Amino acid sequence: MTAARVSRVSGKYLAFALAAARRTLAEPTLLVGRCAFLGVILFVFSRIWHVIGASAALPGVGERELIWYLAVTEWAVLATPPLFLSIEAEVRSGDVACRVVRPVSYVGAHISEAVGEAALRLALLGPSAALFAFALSGGFPADPRGLWLALPLVLVAAFVAILCMAAIGLSAFWIVDTSPFFWIWQKLVFVLGGLLFPLELYPDWLQRIAHLTPFPLMCWAPGRMALGLAPREALASAASGAVWVALLCGLLVVLSRRARARLTVNGG
Amino acid sequence: MAGVRSTLRFARALIATNLRSSLALRGAFWLQAAFMVGNNLAFFTTWWLLFARFREIGGWRLPDMMTLFGVVASGFGLSVVLAGGTRRLARAIADGELDPLLVQPKPVLLHAVGSASIASGWGDMLTGIGMLYLAGRFDLANLPFVLLAVATSGAIFTAAGVLFQSLAFWLGDVEQLSRQLWEFTLTLALYPQPLFSGGISFLLYTLLPAGFVGFLPVEVVRAPSLLLCLGAAGAALAWCLLALGVFALGLRRYESGNTFGARG
Repeated sequence: MTAARVSRVSGKYLAFALAAARRTLAEPTLLVGRCAFLGVILFVFSRIWHVIGASAALPGVGERELIWYLAVTEWAVLATPPLFLSIEAEVRSGDVACRVVRPVSYVGAHISEAVGEAALRLALLGPSAALFAFALSGGFPADPRGLWLALPLVLVAAFVAILCMAAIGLSAFWIVDTSPFFWIWQKLVFVLGGLLFPLELYPDWLQRIAHLTPFPLMCWAPGRMALGLAPREALASAASGAVWVALLCGLLVVLSRRARARLTVNGG
Repeated sequence: MAGVRSTLRFARALIATNLRSSLALRGAFWLQAAFMVGNNLAFFTTWWLLFARFREIGGWRLPDMMTLFGVVASGFGLSVVLAGGTRRLARAIADGELDPLLVQPKPVLLHAVGSASIASGWGDMLTGIGMLYLAGRFDLANLPFVLLAVATSGAIFTAAGVLFQSLAFWLGDVEQLSRQLWEFTLTLALYPQPLFSGGISFLLYTLLPAGFVGFLPVEVVRAPSLLLCLGAAGAALAWCLLALGVFALGLRRYESGNTFGARG
């Protein structure tokens, strides 16, 4: 592929991403609602850690670190747009037939749109999460240097989540209503991902199971950095992220080929 | 009296029609209900993990949490199964889609909220009942209190939904805002009451009625007393009357969508 062709192709997907980011900005109520939701959840969990007594949680980790952990994990989760809904809507309405004939990859275009929206959400929700965490915990974590490492890991988290959502969306070609798959996936992110509290608080057997899945990448990996600087763990998470991205991309290629074949069969 | 009987007959017919229409797509119905059970159980795992580690939170133990989850999930399920149209009310108001209901000789609000049923609500109810059973709340002596608690929670969920969605009469398209307020209510109702005190507690019994859909009904089951039962029933009645009043007030400001369409 020549450099000119690469630039032309990437330009198309960049245009999708920018258009989606502009659309997101046009709906400020939703963004404000998400910030408010983030504040509510952080408040509730700050109360939980306060009532339990965070010193009982993990050695060397206090209430403040646990609130910052949640701020980072919620930031990653709330920044991921529900891209499966738009794929499902297009399959339901039949609009998908018009989208697949465009000179761009159907799934690639959706992923680009989701990346554009996620980038904007990350930029807006990040400062809100930090502000809420600072206000509710009364300061920064004991070792705030880890927060710098959380930044790239949140990007990995959002991208892995986007790829998973694209796979859930493609299931609409077979089952039309994808929300049941999404519910289960979302709750696995909550539990095996360690959304609300670090995986270190789980029983050993559940920690082992969780680490065999991509879910910790979406929450625990960036959140863990709020508990203290851990460059080795950050590197391991980034490497694991690369493996999961490759695996999920492969899955998406297979699924989109089969979905396209199914559309042709249905369409005659 | 004849009017009340006729309205009750209409409500019964709406429920029966919705059930038939939900079950018409049998596969989708069971899939949604089963996945909602899985979803709820996966969510509850978080609480199970937390209580396994810390034993109690503000004096609450795992069975208390299961009771809360059981009452709230059953109440929410009841609300979306019987009044699934509540979630679409703001959109219908903003787009002027209430026209066909206004010309019919039946209560507009009942018709609007009762004209849809959400199949996943059966999964919520099933999970709720399972949780209440596992929490040991399902013996014969406790059953009337459980039923009252679930009915209270369901009625207030619906009333709160109607109130939030009725904001559309004054503010226009508030579908997202009203949905978020409803979700906040549900989210906050699923946390133990001892976490909230002072101003927040006041907020949860007023603006976002999480206290009325969760904390109060759960106390009816945990420590039943005549006063609590009367309080719960009275709160449900008050919220329903408030929702009816606000909707009726808003309806005076309603503007037709002037669109043609067919209604089956």
